[in-house]
Amino acid sequence: MASEILNDDPVLTLEELCENCGLPAAKVTAYVEEGLIEVRGEVVTEWRFSEASIVQIGKAHRLEQDLRLNPAGATLVLELIARIEALKAQIRRLEKSSP
Amino acid sequence: MEYKDYYAILGIDKSATQDEVKRAFRKLARKFHPDVNKDQGAEEKFKELSEANEVLSDPEKRAAYDQIGKGYQPGQEFRPPPDWDAGFEFSRGFDDDAARAGDFSDFFENLFGDAYRQQRASHARSRFHARGEDHHAKILIDLDDAFHGNKRVIVLKVPELTEDGHVVVKNRKLEVTIPKGAREGQHIRLRKQGSPGLGEGSAGDLYLEIAFKDHPLFHVEGADLYLDLPVAPWEAALGGKIKTPTPGGTVDLNIPAGSGQGRKLRLKGRGIPARPPGDLYVTLQIVLPPADTEKAKKLYTTMARELAFDPRARLFQHAR
Repeated sequence: MASEILNDDPVLTLEELCENCGLPAAKVTAYVEEGLIEVRGEVVTEWRFSEASIVQIGKAHRLEQDLRLNPAGATLVLELIARIEALKAQIRRLEKSSP
Repeated sequence: MEYKDYYAILGIDKSATQDEVKRAFRKLARKFHPDVNKDQGAEEKFKELSEANEVLSDPEKRAAYDQIGKGYQPGQEFRPPPDWDAGFEFSRGFDDDAARAGDFSDFFENLFGDAYRQQRASHARSRFHARGEDHHAKILIDLDDAFHGNKRVIVLKVPELTEDGHVVVKNRKLEVTIPKGAREGQHIRLRKQGSPGLGEGSAGDLYLEIAFKDHPLFHVEGADLYLDLPVAPWEAALGGKIKTPTPGGTVDLNIPAGSGQGRKLRLKGRGIPARPPGDLYVTLQIVLPPADTEKAKKLYTTMARELAFDPRARLFQHAR
């Protein structure tokens, strides 16, 4: 049984991403429109996504379901969490280096 | 089996209205949602909240719960009355989204278990198919693992659904490969190691988020590393080459002359060997030699006398 790391390279088609997330294309497209995940390629048929997007979409979808949000709300929550995490990491680093 | 005080879990009175139940649950659910709250215990708390809400938000289940719960204290040993639930039917059924397989407490299972299991079993028998829930966990790795790669065996407690709808917990050993270049916050996926699916639905996946164990020297952020490098005042003032530890081996770091306390130097590509590789940021920490010998005192006295140095010059400029 293999374990695999989810990389940032744009390798997944929309169809593959949907299959990995267990979600319909309309849902995933809504997240693309919000800018939750990065997309390579101009037209839908050429869209390519990273495997790391699977995790982002999973989080957004759970938030939507559990807290009754829409894609815009879930994207905002995840962006704010990322900012909080970055600030926390910065605080930890500064605390560590202060004597 | 412990008695669970669902009212206390939601922080409400027994006399709370259905609207108050809803408001209390929503407020706490936002606070403890495991995708929002990264604290340990948040996921457990969220499950507890969902369970309390599952019961109290439905007037029928709430009435049943109130009836059997008279006189019990939270944590007290609880035995349901023998004929309990004989007369109850729950028209609303159970929320499959809220009830992630086998996640509800023994207490819940005992009170509502029969009705709940019947629903699950009928789903399993019918043509109802659903993909199993994905599972999420953290894996703590050493900085060294990210530089050289490693294999790790983890043990998971996996709830499994038997054919008649019962949940049994099994230990499962999984081998996890940590590739060279693994960054903080990246995920490792183990396919089909999440919850089993319903019907012919496939099992969910297991996702492990990578976090680093504390390292005595290096602080990890993404693929970048941070190191505090102690230097003597003359090393900072005069500059020069200083032997500096990096996870990939010792390097000679060039300190520019006239460097001050807290100066940051970047060693490009010396962070985690990801694609693209991270950087190593070195922060200079000037350490004063103690004036604890005659010789040291003399040197400090000489500096005080010979150097025209006023560290507070700017303070008085502004204070007038």
